[in-house]
Amino acid sequence: MEFRLRKIALPLYVGIFCIFLYLPIMILMIYSFNRGGFPAQWQGLSFCWYYDLFHSVEIWRAFQNSICVALSAAFLSVTFGLMLVYGSKRLKTNISYFFYSNILVPDIVIAVGMLSLFSYFMVPLGLITLIIGHTLLGLGFTVPILKSRLDELDYRLVEASLDLGASTFYTFRYVVLPFLYPAILVSTLLVIIVSFDDFVISFFCAGSSAQTLSLYVFTMIRSGISPTVNALSTIMLLVSSFFILAISLLQARLAVRDGK
Amino acid sequence: MFEEFKKLIKSETYFFLITPACIWQAAFLILPIVFVIILALSFGQGSHLVQNFTLENFQEILQISQIRIIFRSIKLASITAVASLVIAYPVAYFLALHIKRFKLFFLFLLSVPFLINVLVQVYAWFFILERNGVINHLLSFLGLVKKPVNFLNSYFAIYLVMFHVYLPFMIMPIYSAIEKIDFKLIEASYDLGANFRKTFWHIILPLSMPGVRAGFFLVYVVSFGEYVIPALLGGMKLFFVGTLISEYFFIGKDWHLGAAFICLSCGMLFLSAIFYNWLFKKITMQSKIIR
Repeated sequence: MEFRLRKIALPLYVGIFCIFLYLPIMILMIYSFNRGGFPAQWQGLSFCWYYDLFHSVEIWRAFQNSICVALSAAFLSVTFGLMLVYGSKRLKTNISYFFYSNILVPDIVIAVGMLSLFSYFMVPLGLITLIIGHTLLGLGFTVPILKSRLDELDYRLVEASLDLGASTFYTFRYVVLPFLYPAILVSTLLVIIVSFDDFVISFFCAGSSAQTLSLYVFTMIRSGISPTVNALSTIMLLVSSFFILAISLLQARLAVRDGK
Repeated sequence: MFEEFKKLIKSETYFFLITPACIWQAAFLILPIVFVIILALSFGQGSHLVQNFTLENFQEILQISQIRIIFRSIKLASITAVASLVIAYPVAYFLALHIKRFKLFFLFLLSVPFLINVLVQVYAWFFILERNGVINHLLSFLGLVKKPVNFLNSYFAIYLVMFHVYLPFMIMPIYSAIEKIDFKLIEASYDLGANFRKTFWHIILPLSMPGVRAGFFLVYVVSFGEYVIPALLGGMKLFFVGTLISEYFFIGKDWHLGAAFICLSCGMLFLSAIFYNWLFKKITMQSKIIR
């Protein structure tokens, strides 16, 4: 009985679970190819909504803003995270743990706090404030990943390099950086995804001038459903699943190489 | 001057390496939080935003209607966290202990919903639950309903979508905790004559407790302050903590009251988290006792 329960019921349960997890997204994707504008009636296959999507100026602008913010936030948070992790390792401080809290503070508190602070000091809201917020968010992801990777590095290698006369920069460039490289790649991809997906901080810190893709989808949902958003969502889903695939392959390769 | 500066950088390289991140954290995380607390304790308007210190904001905020909204959010967060914990645990268990081949593929399959855009997920549900959406179309096609049912703007829609969105957040921590369990312990338990129920309750559950706790608090804290889902599926009528905060800041424009409300709800969040932590300790203690 018990054996049967675990051999049959559990896989069945996991299967149903996966279907529940993916069903809404699948329906969304299927209907992006529907010819009719009316949501629930199937009127034949068509790519017309994709055509609309690529000719919408508003969406292109939102896309450009999103890309710009995501890349800058990823660059800044990975650079700062790398410097912090390496520096605090050499200084033997535990300051990196302080950055683990960024994910635990509710988004809305950070967003409202930044909004009120920026407007108190009359900083104009826009792309810059958005990049600031997303970099903060990204640090909460990059620091733990980079730190746990750096902790695996045999520290004698760094000491040997320094003892043999290499400068700090040279050691970092040729000993530490190659070892950290996969972790850097993973955290960059992760911050790009997180920044692309973030809504709350963008909503509060972007002002009215800068629109990102998430904000665009939000305003579109407010005004009712439209198949163009289905098409946009499908593309966003495919792109982020591609990123996630890259991340999980990278992590798997790391695990294999380290012989785990 | 420049030479001295260069020398300073050279001698204190590591200190200068950690400064940018720390400054960023202090200026854009700590300072805003402190500022919110200052706002909550003061009054004033326009360019004199902080004029005088007072506790009046809290007096005004401490009303039955506000407290009820906080409790509503606590209830939402608790139900979401408990439900997703109960549903996700078997999946994580199966993934960690029973899947040998294609593990990477399954991990990928479960981490996609974890990282895709929340807005897209909400939109997908919107599309399904809408008045002339997929479900209503299906129901009227089957002849079950005459008029379309309104699923949106209800607690049902909010709870359903919250549960769906936060389910994947629970799997990863539990999975990695179960994965770390030394399989020899489980084998030893079976060898010594324990059945599956005993092994699960006394070995697997206590050892996976760190993951359960991490997942629970992650979902609990994040869904307590949730803004997007109540705002879009509650139709701006069913208020939760997140939506009320944005109401204070965007529509009411009363930042002092909003800040006081943030402080109050964060305090309540903290207290309830302490309560749940105590509960988890109790459960762990219970499961370690072998009768």
